[in-house]
Amino acid sequence: MSPQESPVCGHRSVPHTADLCVEAWAVTREECIAEAVRGVLASFTETSAPTAAVRRECEVRADSDARLLAAVIEEVIYRMEANGELPVDVEVTTAGAGVRLRCEMVSTDVVGQIGAVPKAVSMHGLRLAQEADRWACNVTLDV
Amino acid sequence: MEIRLVEDGPWRSRIEQTDGMRVPGVAFAPRELLPLEPGDKSLEQVANVATLPGIVRASYAMPDIHWGYGFPIGGVAATDVAEGGVVSPGGVGFDISCGVRLLAADLDQEGLLPHMPALMDRLDRVIPRGLGRGGLWKPPGRAELHEVLRGGARYVVEHGHGVPRDLDRCEDQGAVDDADVSQVAERALERGARQVGSLGSANHFLEIQLVDAVLDERCAEAFGLRAGQICVMIHCGSRGLGHEICGDHVRRLDSAQRRYGISVPDAQLACTPVDSPEGRGYLGAMAAAANYARANRQWLSDAARRAFRTVTGADLDLVYDVSHNLAKLETRQTDGARRTLCVHRKGATRALPPGHPDLPPDLAAVGQPVFVPGTMGTASYVLTGVADNEAFDSCCHGAGRVWSRHRAQREITSGVLRSELADAGVTVRPTSWRSVTEEAPGAYKDVDAVVSAGEHNGLGRLVARLVPLGVLKG
Repeated sequence: MSPQESPVCGHRSVPHTADLCVEAWAVTREECIAEAVRGVLASFTETSAPTAAVRRECEVRADSDARLLAAVIEEVIYRMEANGELPVDVEVTTAGAGVRLRCEMVSTDVVGQIGAVPKAVSMHGLRLAQEADRWACNVTLDV
Repeated sequence: MEIRLVEDGPWRSRIEQTDGMRVPGVAFAPRELLPLEPGDKSLEQVANVATLPGIVRASYAMPDIHWGYGFPIGGVAATDVAEGGVVSPGGVGFDISCGVRLLAADLDQEGLLPHMPALMDRLDRVIPRGLGRGGLWKPPGRAELHEVLRGGARYVVEHGHGVPRDLDRCEDQGAVDDADVSQVAERALERGARQVGSLGSANHFLEIQLVDAVLDERCAEAFGLRAGQICVMIHCGSRGLGHEICGDHVRRLDSAQRRYGISVPDAQLACTPVDSPEGRGYLGAMAAAANYARANRQWLSDAARRAFRTVTGADLDLVYDVSHNLAKLETRQTDGARRTLCVHRKGATRALPPGHPDLPPDLAAVGQPVFVPGTMGTASYVLTGVADNEAFDSCCHGAGRVWSRHRAQREITSGVLRSELADAGVTVRPTSWRSVTEEAPGAYKDVDAVVSAGEHNGLGRLVARLVPLGVLKG
């Protein structure tokens, strides 16, 4: 699990006895959410050869920033299980009260598994907040 | 919250009641099994659970306790329904009715060995597991999926994928009767429709095991176990459907709890009174997921049974199927009064004592089988329920993690793991070797010490020790 870190934006997984914990940071709230999604995907997937992707878009809303982070990751998990698709690229932008999620999706059949598959986002320790000069988040997922 | 931990003899510790705790905490574990690493929140979670409205007697931790979210994993808490006692989806966990079933083959190790490679090949092909591998059965429509949510393992057996003993030896005879499908959201149904008959990933597995030692002949005979016998152990739950239900209802109860004057120290402990529309709604949805989990394990048993028959000619008889993530309404004589309690067991197995009316007649004299899986490289244990279990007839459910997945991948390479398991005579068919290193034996507590602590604390009695021969993981 090599950390994908830079001072400006990045993500890393952090130890937790049973589950997957991801920290992410970026200049904007939306990019921080996108980094968290990349951190979750990096924990269990490995994409080998380039493959044709299909773009999916949706709006996600929630009543707080932390819940918005959870809702975006839940959307990715839902699409993985209900449609058999995972993002190879993700973009999050503002959209009214929530965010717009754009994903380049591929079939789970062409994605290699390198870790336990996440199944839900826990409210335990869930955080997305603005710090001095950046946004940062923590999220724990059940695997 | 400040934790005041006091050793209460060599086998257990007490967390003293401090501000906000309505009852003390009790950990049924010697000091060496307690998660005391700096930063570990397990014992704080035991104390947090003790703040839940209506909790009675104590917030309990089993010997395999480790850090969860809201409740610790290996946590047991009962609330008094008549006293405003709450139900908390976090006290059940995301994987509703995750559990273990054990099947015993009419085959010994000598009879199995010539067939082992072919059997592992066949199971490898037919048992869905890991990322995106679907399930053994796709419901033709919503009506059939609803029938699974109402009928559990009964539905599967009635459709020709099992025998009557599969229901006699399943907790609740294969299904709970109070499932409320109207409380299950469309997204949960969509996730569940693709995964009926699948193991999943992480710590879930299907193992071929050998009964290495019988420690209680009378119980083992009643369970259908003997020394030298081959068994199949299956560990999995309600898959994405259960997770979606848990997430939905945590959010719903979190929004509603203030109306009941409830605030909790961790958002994942969201709760409302059992006797509230939100509480009843969750219990109805949870029951539907519990039935899905039993149907899931029944489908996997059916596939394992067919593989065994085809390759070895041997049959598989169900020893028992029991959940370790569930809340149940149980009427009990508790602390001088007869009460209806909502008993949350998260990473804890129900362990009914001999004579309990919910036992099938052929187990009435010996108690309920309890399964404590170890790891893919170490033993698993069968215990039986005993009388006077302080923790509302609950027992440990596994070895309990000590390493994060992070640390396991750092400490163990797949090459070392493969070599260790090969030396131990264990054949492993993982979806991904890199993924399976997260489940390396070193990542868990010593299961021998865990079951010993369970026995010394009166949670169960050892019946048999099983060792792994073949392991399928997702």
